[in-house]
Amino acid sequence: MVAYLVQRIAGLAVVFFLVSVVAFLLMHSIPGGPFDEAQMPLPAAAKANILRKYGLDKPLHEQYLLYMSNALRGDFGISFATTEQVTTLIARTWPVSITLGGLTVIFALGGGVLLGILAGVRQNTWIDYVVTFVAALGLTIPNFVVALWMILLFAVQLKWLPIGGWGDDWRQLIMPMVALGLGPMGVAARYTRASLADVFTSDYIRTARAKGMSEYLVVMRHAVKNALIPIITVLGPRIPDLITGTIFIETMFRVPGLGKFFVTSVSDRDYPMIMAVMLLVAGLWGLVYLVTDLLYTVIDPRVKLA
Amino acid sequence: MDAQEKQLAEAGRVSRRSFLRAASAGAGMMVLAACGGGAPAAPTAAPEAPAATPTTAPTLAPIVDQPTATPAPVAEEPTAAPEPAPDATTINGVTLPDDAGPADQQVYVRYFDNTATFTSIDFMVTVYEGGGNALRDLLSDALIRLDRNFVPQPGAALKWTSNEDATVWTFELDPNLMWNDGTPVTADDYVATFQYSGSQEAAWDFAWYYSAPGALKNWDKAVAGEVPPTEIGVRAEGPHTLVFETETPAPFLPAKLMYSDALQKKALEANGPRYNNDVATSVSAGPYVLTEWSIGERLVYEANPDYTGTNKPYWQRLINIGAKTDTFFAGYQAGEVDHVTGEYLTTADNEIIANDPELSAQVRLTAQDFRTDYLFFDCQNPPFNDVRVRQAFGHIVDRDSLIKNIITPTQGIPAYSFLMPGFPGSNSQELSSIQSYDPEKARALLAEAGFEGGAGFPKLELWLRSEAPVRQAVAQAIAATIKQELGIEVEVSNKEFKTFMEALNAKPTQLQFGMVSYGIDYLDPSNMLGVWLATGRHNWQNATFDDMVNSASAMADPVERIKIFQDAEKLMVEEAPAVWIYHRTVADVLKPYVKGEALEPNVGGFSGIQWPGISAFSNNLSTLYMDSTVSELRPTPPTV
Repeated sequence: MVAYLVQRIAGLAVVFFLVSVVAFLLMHSIPGGPFDEAQMPLPAAAKANILRKYGLDKPLHEQYLLYMSNALRGDFGISFATTEQVTTLIARTWPVSITLGGLTVIFALGGGVLLGILAGVRQNTWIDYVVTFVAALGLTIPNFVVALWMILLFAVQLKWLPIGGWGDDWRQLIMPMVALGLGPMGVAARYTRASLADVFTSDYIRTARAKGMSEYLVVMRHAVKNALIPIITVLGPRIPDLITGTIFIETMFRVPGLGKFFVTSVSDRDYPMIMAVMLLVAGLWGLVYLVTDLLYTVIDPRVKLA
Repeated sequence: MDAQEKQLAEAGRVSRRSFLRAASAGAGMMVLAACGGGAPAAPTAAPEAPAATPTTAPTLAPIVDQPTATPAPVAEEPTAAPEPAPDATTINGVTLPDDAGPADQQVYVRYFDNTATFTSIDFMVTVYEGGGNALRDLLSDALIRLDRNFVPQPGAALKWTSNEDATVWTFELDPNLMWNDGTPVTADDYVATFQYSGSQEAAWDFAWYYSAPGALKNWDKAVAGEVPPTEIGVRAEGPHTLVFETETPAPFLPAKLMYSDALQKKALEANGPRYNNDVATSVSAGPYVLTEWSIGERLVYEANPDYTGTNKPYWQRLINIGAKTDTFFAGYQAGEVDHVTGEYLTTADNEIIANDPELSAQVRLTAQDFRTDYLFFDCQNPPFNDVRVRQAFGHIVDRDSLIKNIITPTQGIPAYSFLMPGFPGSNSQELSSIQSYDPEKARALLAEAGFEGGAGFPKLELWLRSEAPVRQAVAQAIAATIKQELGIEVEVSNKEFKTFMEALNAKPTQLQFGMVSYGIDYLDPSNMLGVWLATGRHNWQNATFDDMVNSASAMADPVERIKIFQDAEKLMVEEAPAVWIYHRTVADVLKPYVKGEALEPNVGGFSGIQWPGISAFSNNLSTLYMDSTVSELRPTPPTV
């Protein structure tokens, strides 16, 4: 087990290195730079000043080595978009995304699994149809559309909820959480239902029923536990997505999170920030897959890691 | 202005017809007349009387039909209303107008784009990283500021004079101005600011602005690191006397110096150029003080109780909330903000507004920054190196139909040339026939160039610069007409902003055929026409045009230079390095309880908050207030 962990973590380091090289090369290869003129071309000298100020006048490999040696010492540079240290920026914004994402995980996965179980147990009844329909809606309607609908309905028309913001009022959490969570909730519900439907045809369920177990215990102890394996595979990787935020939800509802930087850092060519969020995501995904693999052993004793 | 050009959202809002009625001859010289011509124009007088009258620059006789220079009386309390009613409320030394709402309702709220890069609230530190629709440039007075008719008025400088050939300019600063840490505002602050912005270390993203035409002496050399910034032609001759020297005559310098809100020398030295990013180190000599800046979330200013200048505001607090531009209108409808500028309203929003009488009544027209959208060509390479081909394209754009069917009449007017009606030197009437809509003529010109019916003409890709849907539709319509009338295949490709600009600015250019817009930076044809110089951003070279624009830029004679600019523009329209499509106008929405002289129709007939908006570059902010209906429409005063 320990050997397995060491091996996996060493593998992560390789992934990190590869991601950093690929991200660095890609971001420098796209046309345009962080300080392109929007109106009049700057005099060459003025342009050169800007590039020098941010070390962008050096050859690419030098920039990369400089970046990595600083990064290994914890210095990820200064974001061009806010002039903050990248680490400060992430420390400021990520907790916000984690909070919103965490609540959304509870709402979406908890709600989704619950709905899935309901639908799975009551297959082909009206409950099943309603759940399937809602899940399909959540899956197919983009979250920014849901967000706009919610703003127009609950904030503009009914005035029940604040239009956006963060940290002043708990009601500010509701709309972003629901808009963000509907999609994953739909996924969770559909997978749970399908997985349960599959498990219900197994021999051991028939055995459990045959030995006179109550239906509740059949479902909760035998069916759901086994049905969870595919769900973890599918939903585990949604978690890093959710806790790193999303530009649409965060900017629509004015949540000062990390999510928007995944998009704006690229469109602004904010190189230090692009690198930081890339590495962050690479790390998180590596971690989540590791935890997912470890969880299998907990849920299914037949799975052995070596 | 599209959202992508958020950086200049503030720096670029000017009324298009503003000059139409102001001056029969040489409207452009209004700028000069105003700074040289003495008393501010009568209709523009803000509640505050200027504390002194600018003196006449020797070479710049007023040519605008305005009251002649009679010294305005020096007001004791410049911002006070003349006859305060007995029960009038006085806050921060300002007496609110009779119909004003309660003091705690004198709060103006608007959004900024929370996805825009935003690293400073000072123009002299950065322009393009100034956020989108952010409230900035409020912490010190610029040397001059514009009124709603775009006439320069005394700002931090009470008067100014120049030498004979307009290369040495002397500005007398208002001796009353104080920083709120108790230090007086002196010429040294302005000198330090210009020396900072012109330094290599500052790497100012707007460095071209104080370059040619009328470059500040040694500016370019300082930017290039060839001389120290102390050599820049800005110096103090006494605590309140500031002298500017230019490389070539710069009759437009006072107007250009709108962008001159000083940084405090002391703070600059102690805490660096971004000292205003932190409330603790922020210092103000302007109408407001910064009380909160949570990055990406909120920016709050309070009226500066220690402000001793002449632009005292009624609004006691300004709140700027970071939001996604798609939600600006929803927030306006929900009553969270008082104002959304038209550039952030979508076609769908405008449709809702048009169908709602209550909202329609809240529409306020401005003409932004004289922005013109146009098609342009790589004129150095085939097929567009043949002027007949370019002219042919000029004759197939049906502007009237585009305005009627796609753009909609509140959002623009047809353009047949570059300088919008009302802009200094605009000659749109006379030039309108050169690129008139005439498909037959277009076909003939194309045939003459050897491409009869489009035969042998390469397939084109029309690049757009991250354009809004409305302009994508315009481009598609034009592409369809080109195919239909000229038989040339055109594929429209909406590029990402930076990809577009890199291709455009590349030497040699990598952009064969594109559509883009340009809006002004300062009120002079030298700015707009400069785009088309060989050193500008398009691949068209015409030595005659360059000579004309360069000589007119440096010319002190206001009538003669406008004439030369007009000849240059005519030459350009004939040579057709571009096909002009439309001049943008902008319809803001503004809550009905916002009142003030800034909203009375200006010389162009516009009654919105005109460029340059709510900042120390304008005296809009000392005239605007919330009237008594605010308490009914916005029952709870916005808090922070």
